[in-house]
Amino acid sequence: MKKLTVLLLALMAVAVVVQYVPLQAAIRPPKLEYQRLVLPNGLVVILHQDKSTPIVHVELWYHVGSKNEKPGRTGFAHFFEHLMFKGSRNVEPEQHTSIIASVGGQANAYTNEDTTVFWQTLPAQYLPLVMWMEADRMASLRIDEKTFVAEREVVKEERRMRIENPPFGLLNELITFHAFDVHPYKHPVIGSMNDLNAATIDDVRDFYKTYYVPENATLMVVGDFDVDTVTSLVNQYFARVPKADKPVPRDIPQEPPHTKEKRVALEQPWPLPAVVVAYHVPYNGHPDSYPMFVMSKTLSDGQTSRIYRKLVYETGLALTAFGSSSFLEQPGIFSAVALVNPGKSADDVEKGLIAEFDKLKTQGITERELQRAKNQFSRDYIVSRLSIKEKASQLGHAEVIQKDIASADGEFDTFLKVSLDDVKRVAQKYFVAEGRLVMRINPRGGVEQ
Amino acid sequence: MTRRAVATLGIVGALTGIVAGKSLLRFDGEAMREILRAERAQNRVEWPRDNPPRPLPARPVTVPSYELRKLANGMQVVLVSQNEQPAISVRMIVRAGAAHDPKGKYGLAMMAATLLDQGAGTRTAEQIAEEIDFIGGALNTGAGTDLSYVNAVVMKDSYEIALRLMSDVVQRPTFAPEEIERQRNQALSALKVSAEAPESVADRVIDRLIYGFHPYGMPGAGTAESLAALTRADLVEYHQRYFVPNNALIAVVGDITPAEAMAGLEKYFGAWKPGEVPALNVTEPPDATRRVVVIDKKDAVQTEIRVGHIAIPRKHNDYEAVDQAVKILGGEGANRLQQVLRSQKQLTYGASADLDTFKWAGAVIAETDTQTANTAEALRVVVDEFTRLQRERVGNGELEGAQDYMVGHFPLTIEVPDQIATQVLNQLFYELPVEELPRYRERILKVTPDELQRVARWFIRPSQLSIVLVGNADRFVGDLKGVGFGSFERIPIEGIDLLAPDFVKRSGPR
Repeated sequence: MKKLTVLLLALMAVAVVVQYVPLQAAIRPPKLEYQRLVLPNGLVVILHQDKSTPIVHVELWYHVGSKNEKPGRTGFAHFFEHLMFKGSRNVEPEQHTSIIASVGGQANAYTNEDTTVFWQTLPAQYLPLVMWMEADRMASLRIDEKTFVAEREVVKEERRMRIENPPFGLLNELITFHAFDVHPYKHPVIGSMNDLNAATIDDVRDFYKTYYVPENATLMVVGDFDVDTVTSLVNQYFARVPKADKPVPRDIPQEPPHTKEKRVALEQPWPLPAVVVAYHVPYNGHPDSYPMFVMSKTLSDGQTSRIYRKLVYETGLALTAFGSSSFLEQPGIFSAVALVNPGKSADDVEKGLIAEFDKLKTQGITERELQRAKNQFSRDYIVSRLSIKEKASQLGHAEVIQKDIASADGEFDTFLKVSLDDVKRVAQKYFVAEGRLVMRINPRGGVEQ
Repeated sequence: MTRRAVATLGIVGALTGIVAGKSLLRFDGEAMREILRAERAQNRVEWPRDNPPRPLPARPVTVPSYELRKLANGMQVVLVSQNEQPAISVRMIVRAGAAHDPKGKYGLAMMAATLLDQGAGTRTAEQIAEEIDFIGGALNTGAGTDLSYVNAVVMKDSYEIALRLMSDVVQRPTFAPEEIERQRNQALSALKVSAEAPESVADRVIDRLIYGFHPYGMPGAGTAESLAALTRADLVEYHQRYFVPNNALIAVVGDITPAEAMAGLEKYFGAWKPGEVPALNVTEPPDATRRVVVIDKKDAVQTEIRVGHIAIPRKHNDYEAVDQAVKILGGEGANRLQQVLRSQKQLTYGASADLDTFKWAGAVIAETDTQTANTAEALRVVVDEFTRLQRERVGNGELEGAQDYMVGHFPLTIEVPDQIATQVLNQLFYELPVEELPRYRERILKVTPDELQRVARWFIRPSQLSIVLVGNADRFVGDLKGVGFGSFERIPIEGIDLLAPDFVKRSGPR
């Protein structure tokens, strides 16, 4: 039996030089302890023990998402997530979820721009079962034409349900489509149905062999377990998954700098007009991403956030207004969206949104706003690591997206060091007119007054 | 590669057809190595045929401890002390919700709850928001069918701030005229958006069909007319009537000792004066009657389907058995609807059935959505599953499967302190014995197939189903007759009146 390489990573040094003395010290959450192992086949394993309830959460992250898709094959990563439930050598089709459910557990998966994540939470004594099943589908997925064709219909219904049928369902898709010219973040995760129709069984097999390999995967085990037991289970079931025969491709087309404001006018069958203003922002974990995050809090977190106050509360121009930042593995966008209230002017809403970004460049934010953003960050940080599922998600994000497991804790201190000058500097760097997208989406058939 | 892997390889290959139907057992060593090399190149050969591993020894599941208290003014208190993260959550429930809207004043409970934190005590809406946002806290208010809630989450050093704000919000809301207007406009706009959202239209119409003009059938989000007519006096009267400590429950959860938690509650809620709460006169909901309503939305690409009928309130002797019957139909750990509609027929992304049980009544409602062209077929499948559940005895294996899920799942529902508090609050709210909580295993396993059949016979009524279909009607109504639903009412989505017996909006004031 192969030996595991066990690396117990030293946690971030405690003594952090705080450059900025806060008005009110944010409460420091406890550190997330973990062990990190790397198997000879490249699989990264992260363990975090929490014995408070006899349950365990197992999460497998494959570092493949919609940004890995080739033109003409959008929607593939998400479609493949569905196929992972279609049986493997020792597990019958559709049985994965029902076997987990038969012991009281829950299992599901999700796909985003950067990753595909499979998770299960179940009573702790069934840890061997879930490790065995996850390894089984990593190594021996059944891929046949019949399931492939049938599952495509389910994904089409998913798209109709989530995107096409609800009012405003297409909003995010429209924003990214116009915000990016080249980068695959342009395309929605769920993809185009024409592309899915064009996909062949060979595409499916190739995708599996390319991306569903141990060196492209990270296994998180969080909850009630003994380290010896989990180590021997990892050895028994995952160490025998063969190493990939080629490196995982990472050639993702990058977005060139934008040099001119882009204006787009569209019609959709929506009840109210929408105005979108979007800018390009740095990747998650970039030093500029922390001040950017502060600004996203100031602009759009809570009722006292600037966009809500100005457009909804003070002027009543918008039914709702919010900012949404996609801090992804590669540079994403920050978009502010407002739904124009009946009888109000979309021009005024657009001006109002842009004015809020410009104000950040000229005036920055106040000391109190900075402290509020830090307190809100601190709350989010603390309340997003209560359950074992949330803890796994934090660890997975640090390891896979930030490529530094220590950031799961260290990020807290990085964030607390953000200064007022940092905020202004980053606003001036990113909220520039040349990089801006302005979208006006009117109800089909005109605006009702 | 282990020896076992080689030994089982041939059988597996033959079984799965991966090695083109050839059994490796027939080959000599060299040929076998050759095939192994070829298959290794394909990256999947060495994988052994295994049986699932056995479970480890189980550790006992214990319900984390909680304490029940009561203030002298009658407010019920739940305390859960847990210090893993330095946060405290405070949850308050008042026993009044949309069901308490007086006739014609639909949306009153929702509006009152929304306005609680929009000015209270000496603070304006902005001051309250500023104070809670600044400390990195969160304060939420809202109303459900039977209850209203106020929740706060703060860091452990801000417990007093949370209580001070909550006590103002719950006891002394301002209901300032300009805030009422602001929230009224928001509610009207939100109504406009949801009136075009197929899911929410389907939900509202099925509730009206099932509960009729019982309070649970009425639109809790209001109507354009009812919202426009609400006055400040309505809000004040509703608040005075129901927001009294003897009509409220509160839970303090997280990094705080019971003594500190109680001291804060006494300080901020001890002086709150109790009051007499008038009993709500609720008529019985109507008997289940077959009725099919098609809501026409021309640009829909999918049809939202709802199928259901009246069931039981939460406090009912057969609750456990009825709940399990509905889980078999469409709940987690079982779900026949999902098996047939998604796994076998690929007609939908998701299908489920829920048992909604409220204080005075409840309903079983199945829901799914499907591509317009498949509407009739999906509807037939859903209705057939109601029939099967009523007529055929559920097999031992299927029931055991559902029960194993429920028993095994229980520890997942008491993982974080807020979940524990919510479970205790639920028991108290529905006046169920709290000491039943740890006895979940006995409660679940006592339901037998005979018991399930007994309740399914009386409570499932396949021939008296309420049915709502929201979609592009022209494209599917022609198929309805062929699946046994030739008679239906058809209403354009823009012409719905939830208060009209036939759902048809008529011009002029009502």
